[in-house]
Amino acid sequence: MDRNVCIIGGGMSHWGIRQASARDMFQEAGKACFNDIPGLSNKDVDGLIVASAFTERSCFQTHLAPLVAEYLGIKPKNICARVELLCASGSSGIILAYGLIKSGIADVVMITGGEKLFTPQKWEVFYSELGTGDHDWDGSQGLGLPPPFFSMVAQRHMKLYGTTEEQLAMVSVKNRRNGLNNPKGQYQKAITLEEALNARHVVAPLKLFDCCPVTDGAAAVILACEEKAKEYTDKPLVYIKGVGQATVNNMSANMPSMTTWEALKIAGNQAYSKAGVKPSDIDVAQTHDCFTISEIIESEDLGFCEKGEGGLFVQEGRSDYGGDVAINTDGGLLSCGHPFGGTGIRQGIEIMKQLRGDAARQVEGARTGLTHNLSGLSAAHTVLVYGRDI
Amino acid sequence: MEGISILNGKYAVSMDMYPLQDKNYNMVYKFYDNLKEGRFTTTKCTDCGARSFPPRIICPECLSENMEWVDLPSEGTVLVVAEQEAGVPLGFQAPLIHAHVDLGGELTYLGRVQNCKAGELKEGDKVKLVVIPIEPVPADGKKGAVIQHERVFFAFEKVK
Ligand SMILES: [Zn+2]
Repeated sequence: MDRNVCIIGGGMSHWGIRQASARDMFQEAGKACFNDIPGLSNKDVDGLIVASAFTERSCFQTHLAPLVAEYLGIKPKNICARVELLCASGSSGIILAYGLIKSGIADVVMITGGEKLFTPQKWEVFYSELGTGDHDWDGSQGLGLPPPFFSMVAQRHMKLYGTTEEQLAMVSVKNRRNGLNNPKGQYQKAITLEEALNARHVVAPLKLFDCCPVTDGAAAVILACEEKAKEYTDKPLVYIKGVGQATVNNMSANMPSMTTWEALKIAGNQAYSKAGVKPSDIDVAQTHDCFTISEIIESEDLGFCEKGEGGLFVQEGRSDYGGDVAINTDGGLLSCGHPFGGTGIRQGIEIMKQLRGDAARQVEGARTGLTHNLSGLSAAHTVLVYGRDI
Repeated sequence: MEGISILNGKYAVSMDMYPLQDKNYNMVYKFYDNLKEGRFTTTKCTDCGARSFPPRIICPECLSENMEWVDLPSEGTVLVVAEQEAGVPLGFQAPLIHAHVDLGGELTYLGRVQNCKAGELKEGDKVKLVVIPIEPVPADGKKGAVIQHERVFFAFEKVK
């Protein structure tokens, strides 16, 4: 059995510094997702995958999926488990659900992801980050917080390809402007190029608006086989067309290149070839803009522009509405924030809406979309291609 | 009153930023024993010759279990520097300075550079490995005894 798989609905909690627990936000996200599919009840869901990376560290809660099932009134019978790949946990959950539905093991699966990162003492989240690389070898060097690593990536890219601080800032200006499209994101405030360039340094050359914030929040989507999708929704069907997930190194000593992300190229090529599309076929993309430099490198290594031209790509407006491919149309991580397990799911929701034609600000006629997550210190990359056509 | 104060004087291994180095807890403890003698070492496969870092008990190229310990260069050249002033994780001092270091063409590594002021370290500078003492791990012994496992780790310093 090899079935077509659709994403039929999605929703999210408010993201930001939340006065809410993880279980509160999973309830909000689940409710918002069910609201998006009036024809489907929580009792119709036969599988649940929960994506969360820091649940044991910031909530002291393991065995999370049955807890979320209980709170959302879901009684899964085919899968009920948590998945973790740090910043790509959510899209990993979508890939796993896709495989289960495609192969006939499950019919209707909810994937919900999120994090509670703000604890009463703020040091805790930064400290926990030491466990996100190779704890014994990189964590012990004080590595794990992303800004120092991505500062080096930016410096190398600037030196190799002439990328400028203005071009970095242009990514944040674009994505903060696009963030106005998502009322549930962490920020709804556009910034000027001048504000971005004059902001304080986090780790030079990266400044405040070059970095995504720390975020509480959750998001949820439901995937279904095509037959069930037609039963539960009369909105246009959006298919998952191809996926890829790759890693070529974990520890910093084994990194082949700081500025060309081999694992991204592999994951992208896998997703493109399975979907039968080329980079130029992608109308709208949500790429992992944890830092402005990340989006620049991603637009190169996903094949939207030539290597080294990522800075020019944003400068010329080719990643904005009306350009070659609209990137991060709901504000991305830079504006929506980044509750690790929630991010890939938020990206999936925005691509689904863009392809259904009911996005807050629509890319006209979009039929093919892409989501991308990097995780760890660029140690793994995850790419999904969605489309109206199968 | 009951609560988290019960942890006073105890040690939560999940909050430890350094590896457990004693031979009770890992199979590459020789790395740390060598480090205590000032040697920076790793494992090399005696079957296929692949040199791995970090050290292994099994070769990731040919899956052989026949490994020998070899020395790595302890001096290197700085490729790029990152200086973090704010938001430094607990247990590290600001400015927290990291460098991507090329160790004699054998290995590149993201290392912490200590005893270094912001703005002091530049691309092309030479750095050397330094061995630093780390707080010991208090481990449960018999009849309530507490055993302190001594530990070391490494960082880099600028060669002046
Ligand atoms: Zn070997």
